[in-house]
Amino acid sequence: MIGNLPMILVGAVLIAVFSIIIGLLLMGFDRIVAARMQARIGPPLTQPFTDIRKLLAKENVVPENAIPWLFNLAPVLALASAITILLYLPIAGFAPVLSGGGDLILVMYLLTIPALALVAGGFASGSPYATVGAQREMVTMIAYEFPLAIVIIAIAWKLAAAGIALPFTLASIQANPVWSLVGPLGVIGLLILLIVLLIVTPAELSRVPFDTPEAETELAGGILVEYSGKNLALFSLTQGVKTVAMASLVVALFFPYSLAAILGIAGIPAAVTDILFFIVLITIVAFLSVSLVRVSMARFRINQVISVYWIYLAIAGLAGLLLVMTDQIVGVI
Amino acid sequence: MSTEKVKKTVPYTVPIGPVHPALKEPVMFTFGMEGEIVRTVDFAPGQTHRGIEWMGMRRNPVQIVHLTDRICGICGIVHSLSFARAVEQIAEIQVPERADYIRTILHELERIQSHLLWAGVAAHELGFDSLFYLTWRVREQSMDLIENLTGNRVNYGIVQIGGVRRDISDEQRVLAEKGLDYYQGLLDKMATLFLEDSTILMRCRGHGILSEQDARLLCTIGPTARASGLNMDVRQDYPYCAYGDLDVKAILPPPETGGPKGDVYDRIIVRLLEVGQSIGIIRQCLENLPAGEILWEPKMAKLLAVLKKAEGEGIGRVEAPRGECMHYVKMAGKEAPESWKVKASSYSNLMSWIPMLQGEQLADVPIIVASIDPCLSCTDRVAVTRNGRSDILTKEDLSRLSREKTRRMMQ
Amino acid sequence: MAGLPFVPEVLKQLFSRPATNAFPARHLPPSVTEFLAKVARGEAQIHPPVPTPPKFRGKIVYDREACIGCSLCIRVCPAHAIEFIPETKRVRIYVTQCIFCSQCNDVCPKDALHMSSDFLLATEDRYAESQIVE
Repeated sequence: MIGNLPMILVGAVLIAVFSIIIGLLLMGFDRIVAARMQARIGPPLTQPFTDIRKLLAKENVVPENAIPWLFNLAPVLALASAITILLYLPIAGFAPVLSGGGDLILVMYLLTIPALALVAGGFASGSPYATVGAQREMVTMIAYEFPLAIVIIAIAWKLAAAGIALPFTLASIQANPVWSLVGPLGVIGLLILLIVLLIVTPAELSRVPFDTPEAETELAGGILVEYSGKNLALFSLTQGVKTVAMASLVVALFFPYSLAAILGIAGIPAAVTDILFFIVLITIVAFLSVSLVRVSMARFRINQVISVYWIYLAIAGLAGLLLVMTDQIVGVI
Repeated sequence: MSTEKVKKTVPYTVPIGPVHPALKEPVMFTFGMEGEIVRTVDFAPGQTHRGIEWMGMRRNPVQIVHLTDRICGICGIVHSLSFARAVEQIAEIQVPERADYIRTILHELERIQSHLLWAGVAAHELGFDSLFYLTWRVREQSMDLIENLTGNRVNYGIVQIGGVRRDISDEQRVLAEKGLDYYQGLLDKMATLFLEDSTILMRCRGHGILSEQDARLLCTIGPTARASGLNMDVRQDYPYCAYGDLDVKAILPPPETGGPKGDVYDRIIVRLLEVGQSIGIIRQCLENLPAGEILWEPKMAKLLAVLKKAEGEGIGRVEAPRGECMHYVKMAGKEAPESWKVKASSYSNLMSWIPMLQGEQLADVPIIVASIDPCLSCTDRVAVTRNGRSDILTKEDLSRLSREKTRRMMQ
Repeated sequence: MAGLPFVPEVLKQLFSRPATNAFPARHLPPSVTEFLAKVARGEAQIHPPVPTPPKFRGKIVYDREACIGCSLCIRVCPAHAIEFIPETKRVRIYVTQCIFCSQCNDVCPKDALHMSSDFLLATEDRYAESQIVE
């Protein structure tokens, strides 16, 4: 591991740059597509870059009631942890930068860290809006964690049942696309699990209808209300990177395919094809789970967020899991 | 419960306003919160007093008519019509029949655009921005029509003492009919988008309830009262302009939607149905538009002379999109009126916020506040400052001050 | 889609033309004044605003020759936007104060006042030449 350190550092920097650029482009894409779905023109694709540049040039305002060190630490922590998630996820068919160091369980825990940083920043803001927002963010986090866990366990269980060693590592998932391991019943089960994961994504990214922690109309931006300048820029970058991370997770779990391998391309063109293919995949995921969902419904109340996740999605997830299991048992018989 | 006591029993307070994205109008709320639940509600209007009555008392009625257009950015016709009716009552001016019909047509067009505006705001408060954009886009049709008929999108300047300032030509009639057809075709779609959406249903059904009894006790008016089941509408109870010739019935939430429950959802239903009703009224008016003059006295100098001589008191009442709007005018043989009092419709509805909001979640505050369609800029008539800080007048203070003022006016 | 009637609507809108009128340009130019200067030089194309209807009430037009200085317009102007100049016996109209009600047009016995369809009137100087009609 120590001998790999330079490689890991280079990889980490590359991933950070890649994820920030792709994240911002995804945000720009989301804004254009959402605008078109609302019959507006929308901003140019590069608008998020302009916004970040503007924010970086602005002053950081720390409110009087805030706890300054925590208030300023939270955005850095959020961005760093969001990038860390990507170090454990396979990007465009390449093995994760930190492969061997962690598995899906770790990714699940890492996913909560940006949200926790946001909560810490919210509580440290010393504003009632941010406090309410932070409370809601915690509740939302608890709510979506359960369906997310069901999806991850279902896939790992399937791999284990298929006799694959180390079912929780992303390398195994990468090497064995789940769709090829299941029969027709399992396909239905996996489809349900995919939909569950797609609906968990907007909550992870706090977008409508699960943007209760930010809730522009009642909390005026809630958890982020006191943030400005560079700190807000870091949170915006986190948002972009988190979008990439969640989309990559969906792609890694359900579509770990390589277009180059299918087309039989090798060498550098293969890498380029795979990166482009990967970007197309995460864009589709982002469109379905973020843009389309956020323009077509109203915001939920916080208790409705809980009932959506704990009751409807948990039942859907368990049904998917059961279908996959039944499929396995039927297949064995 | 006294304020002191309340402060001790609620864990924390959330202030909303006077400037806040939840409110499209300046008002200051203080919520005593217990978790996400609103336990106590207090609100303080008076953040946007503009002294418009003071301005009016230094102008002649012809000037004031244009001032009234600007009391509200949405209810231009309502306020100018209400004021004009009060002055016409004092000066005993008989408005030509054609002018009455044109006033009715524009009044109803204004109701269509106002209700669509409200529907868009409501969708936005629910976090449903796509619906907000769609609603405001279809609202443009009515704004364009109003612009064509009056010469401007807002601040129409169409009502004059004794009639209207512009006639409706044959081409404009065709345009108006086209616009009505457009909305007729749109009604079903809007009803589907608003009433069949499960996320809207989840957020609105059973929330912000105002019981029929509370609605009566708090003297609520307009769609807010009708959604709670009160059968009242100035157009039905006290017909003015052309409404006497038309068959206008107050719209209550129909029994097939569960009857009047008095919740936010019922207020959506009532307003959507009223858009349909307005289309019908405009159609009837266009069909039966009588021929003739549109002004009682086209020569302004003559009109001004008549108004200068007028003496007496008058009250103009009209059914604004938000409820009854009332203007009281007293003329005493001078250029400017001696007294002018405006009661905008939202004034009567503000107190209904308290029973509606208590026990609801913070997340529902924006939509419940918006559900009465508050228009505070038109409502604010008083702002009290003493020694540089704002003050609150008690009931005793107010009755003492009004007695003093009456005595002054009697002298 | 049951319960979510807006989903087909947004998908339909995704593939139709946006309703926005791209005035003055599709995206906000880095500097609006520079953009307008470019338009004036013919280097850029301005997207036209929504057309005004006939009888629109825009910036006031004053026919100095027809005016007889009766100052009836001053009497009906709600905004006190019209000033009488005793030396010339003519009026001066402050556009920044005008509320575009056109009441003065109605009252004028000599038909000396009219409303144009000019509505892009914003400037930084309330006493700029364009803001005073006399």
